Amino acid sequence: MGDTGADVLWGLVAAQSASHGGRVSVADVCAVAVGLAAADGAWVTAASGRGPDFVMCVTDPVGEQLAELQLMLGEGPCHDVLASAAPVLAGDLGDPESARRWPAFTDEARRAGAAAVFAFPLVIGAIRAGAMGLYRGVPGPLGRHFGDCLLLADAATVLLLDAAGEGRAADGDGPGLGGQAPHLAHHRAEIDQATGILTVQLDVPVAEAYARLRAYAYAQDRRLAEVATDIVARRLRLPPAGGEDQP
Amino acid sequence: MDAELLSATFVDLADTLVAEFDVIDFLHMLTDRSVALLGASAAGVVLADPRGEPRLAAASSDAAGLIELFQVQNDQGPCLDCFRTGQPITVADLTEPGQRWPRFAAATTAAGFRAVEAVPMRLRDQVIGALNLFGATPDSLGAEDRRIGQALAGVATIGLLQERSVRRAEIAAEQLQGALNSRVVIEQAKGTLAERLDVDMDQAFRLLRSQAREQNQRLTDVARHIVANPAQTSRPRRLPKTEYQMSNDRVRQAPPSQPGLTTGRENRR
Repeated sequence: MGDTGADVLWGLVAAQSASHGGRVSVADVCAVAVGLAAADGAWVTAASGRGPDFVMCVTDPVGEQLAELQLMLGEGPCHDVLASAAPVLAGDLGDPESARRWPAFTDEARRAGAAAVFAFPLVIGAIRAGAMGLYRGVPGPLGRHFGDCLLLADAATVLLLDAAGEGRAADGDGPGLGGQAPHLAHHRAEIDQATGILTVQLDVPVAEAYARLRAYAYAQDRRLAEVATDIVARRLRLPPAGGEDQP
Repeated sequence: MDAELLSATFVDLADTLVAEFDVIDFLHMLTDRSVALLGASAAGVVLADPRGEPRLAAASSDAAGLIELFQVQNDQGPCLDCFRTGQPITVADLTEPGQRWPRFAAATTAAGFRAVEAVPMRLRDQVIGALNLFGATPDSLGAEDRRIGQALAGVATIGLLQERSVRRAEIAAEQLQGALNSRVVIEQAKGTLAERLDVDMDQAFRLLRSQAREQNQRLTDVARHIVANPAQTSRPRRLPKTEYQMSNDRVRQAPPSQPGLTTGRENRR
């Protein structure tokens, strides 16, 4: 399995973003994933409910077709990863298992030129942000970059959630991309517990609670895990939406 | 050794084909029974994560001090070595001089433990996790405990991966990621419950578990529902028993009648 590390991967994503001069986005994550996993293309779909329902980015026309197909057909690896919160590694769309799981998608995907599809849930516990897909034109296992793909999926998850959080915030000044590597790999239980606490304290959905936690840590220039620990210890209460930071 | 509990445990660990099977609940049963059966005072299961560090999936207590001992082991400790070598590792007395993992030994003795055992959970040549046992006194984990611990870990590995579906190595990798995410859902729900009901994280977990059992639902589903509907959660009249008591209740087929949480879900049934 790959051992590139979250910081190195985040550096690759940031460099990818710098090459086109924009802000870091899920498109940059897709581009890095394609390079690392020797894939032919990638896509990210966002979810608002239980399944994928909006294509956020694609790297090429085949990737676009694969993303759209799944929305249209209502079946495919990206639906499954959101339902199970686990990745799907379909190394050979020609095998009977793929045909059984996604009869319509498998046919259409192969016709479009995909022989292998690897899908990753963009989830953090109960938060469902979307799905990231990679495809190859030749069959074969994903191989040693599975861990790197998981880390990149973590980065895509945080980018989607931050973007949604900024959409809600009037001033649009969220953590965005200037921030540090989204260290989901060094995940601590306190971060999840704090997220749950914030759903009650701020009376917001869990995805927003997480985005608020991150935004607060970013604004205060503190580590996410530290802020979470303070919230769990009841030493810190975040200000309500739109309010000013309190000590 | 409680022979009746031991045989019941093997039956329970092998019985993963039930509809309400929940991977985190299952791993908690493994840790609870390890404590009930063996000379261990605490136990935990960590699972491999291809992102890097192994992650804690279940512990016999959610007490902060115990959780810390797994986080320390991201740097050094018998669990990490067990992962690397695939071999069980025993430390009979952590206070003896010349410890291999000084920081781990210091943290563990500070938490009140003297002996530790790490048992690998292996699927063929792949180490997918480890069962970590902590004993309160030196040599509290004897040779028989070690053998039974290894047998429990072995049966649990098969149960965890639901062997019927593990034809490809990829499926094990997929399922382990699902299990790790379930743990995150449960931590989020603990936070929601703790804030809503003004209880600590350990009590919040017991509430989650007792509700899942009463309603015969998967722990992760109950947790997901609570995170999505925090306002519907109301306070039970009293807190459920400890996990150790619950594991004994379950074995002896004498479920206590407990008033549970109300989430609104049961109204739909």
